Amino acid sequence: MKGLTKNLVLVLAIAVVLTGCKQPTQLIDDAKAAIEDVTKAGADKYAADDLQKLNTDLTAALDEVNAQDKKFLKKFGTAKEMLTKLKTDVDALKAALPAKIEAAKNAAIQLQTEAKAAIDEAKALLAKAPKGKGTAKDIEAMKAELTGAETAFAEIQTALDAQDYIGAADKAKSIKEKAAAVTSQIQAAIEKKK
Amino acid sequence: MKTLSRTSGALLLGSLFFVCSCKTPLAPPEAQQAEVLDQALWRSGASFYAQENYVQFKQSLKSAKEKIAREKAKFGWFRDYEPIRAEFRELLQNGEDLLAKVEGLKSSKSKYYSEQAAALSARIERLKQMTDYFNENGPVRKSLAQAEIKLSEAGLLLQKEQFESMGNYLSDSMTFIRQAEQAMMDVLSRYMDRKELEKWRRWADETIVESKAKETIAILVNKLERKLTLYKKGVAVGSYDIGLGKYGLSDKLYSGDEATPEGRYHIIRKIPSSPFYKALLINYPNEEDQKAFALAKNKGLVPAETGIGGYIEIHGGGKDNLTKGCIGLNDRDMDEIYRQAEVGTAVTIVGAVSVENTILADIKKFEKNG
Repeated sequence: MKGLTKNLVLVLAIAVVLTGCKQPTQLIDDAKAAIEDVTKAGADKYAADDLQKLNTDLTAALDEVNAQDKKFLKKFGTAKEMLTKLKTDVDALKAALPAKIEAAKNAAIQLQTEAKAAIDEAKALLAKAPKGKGTAKDIEAMKAELTGAETAFAEIQTALDAQDYIGAADKAKSIKEKAAAVTSQIQAAIEKKK
Repeated sequence: MKTLSRTSGALLLGSLFFVCSCKTPLAPPEAQQAEVLDQALWRSGASFYAQENYVQFKQSLKSAKEKIAREKAKFGWFRDYEPIRAEFRELLQNGEDLLAKVEGLKSSKSKYYSEQAAALSARIERLKQMTDYFNENGPVRKSLAQAEIKLSEAGLLLQKEQFESMGNYLSDSMTFIRQAEQAMMDVLSRYMDRKELEKWRRWADETIVESKAKETIAILVNKLERKLTLYKKGVAVGSYDIGLGKYGLSDKLYSGDEATPEGRYHIIRKIPSSPFYKALLINYPNEEDQKAFALAKNKGLVPAETGIGGYIEIHGGGKDNLTKGCIGLNDRDMDEIYRQAEVGTAVTIVGAVSVENTILADIKKFEKNG
């Protein structure tokens, strides 16, 4: 009777060990889905380094799961901890992402305003520029260039509307640069006239 | 019993000494280096530029890490990292090679796209110079400005090593350059038309022959060369730089088109005091101009209620002024021409006279490249 009880306890213990050491598939699936979500939400554009770290952490957690899976006595405790921490980190990035996107958006809008101001400055200077001998041709060319810059300016809003804030910022920088170059040319023409 | 206790104690002490003197080997530092290298490879874009090799590297890294984990699972005394260390060293070497390959690939892409951008930039500059020369600034310069903006955006993408997107922006820039070239060619294509050239050459020859035969003064204006030549008894006695209007290279058709007429005219009035220093009024529109205007009007090529225009002059005020269709000269040159010209003096205005003209050759090359 005593022997039977011992055997029963042993079988129960083995059953507990075996059933308690299942792969944390739900945690894995949750972590993968969360990373996919945050990527779709724009982390690949606006938080690329953070996203890379999360992917590396996921790989490390999966490596740990696989390593334990090959053992007779599986201990998924570390993997579970890693996956839980990963999920927390993904959630933190997801929570921080709108602010990062908002910052990129605000930066693009700021550059759009600066580009507009640069065009307006060039136009105002152009209106004051002496259209006399030696400058008329130059002014005509600059006027045409400003028209080109103004046409391109509309593309910034298109990019902003498409939520391509990095593209919008690049466009705004380029237009601002072009308008500033025209302003310098007008100033040079005015100097030439003096 | 006492002896047995002493023996057991000695054995226990010996075991403890043995355990303490045996160090557990540490995991190889190469494992950490491989992780750092993996990060560097990711950052360099290895998954994009050398996908197959990068996947191989990742698999080897995973396998080596699994071996470390297996070794760590062993009791300290039995751990042996040396074979894994060798594997990591090989992995590191492969990773470094892969990084160099990716960097090399990126460098060659960067060089290729930079050269493309530089070529487009040079093309834009050349076109700008041509617009300056031909005074064709409107649609051409607008398109060129748009091309420059696209090129600048491409430059920003180059800094971020986004070569594929950069390629798209270069292509957009090229589209605007082609638009600019097309706008320019719309104006300049007449200057490569053999029939037009022959007509202009005939007008020029006839003018010079008449000047010689009648022993008179004659004025020949070459729009493409931006030159006014004064002939006396068929011999060129002076050549002067001139300026035209915004659309001076086009043939005048109607009032307000800011084009300069082409044809055989004569001076109908000398104006000693004009808003443009001194002026010589010519008989535009002549009979040919009126026929061309009527034809264009019938075809709907002339805006409604627009007349044929007039008051085309050779005047002073400076060759760098933009005229509305007249021919502008520096005042000192105007003095000379005004002094020699009389009412009735022949004024022939042509587009160009020589097909071998260097400017025309440039346009041809330009059209070929376009």
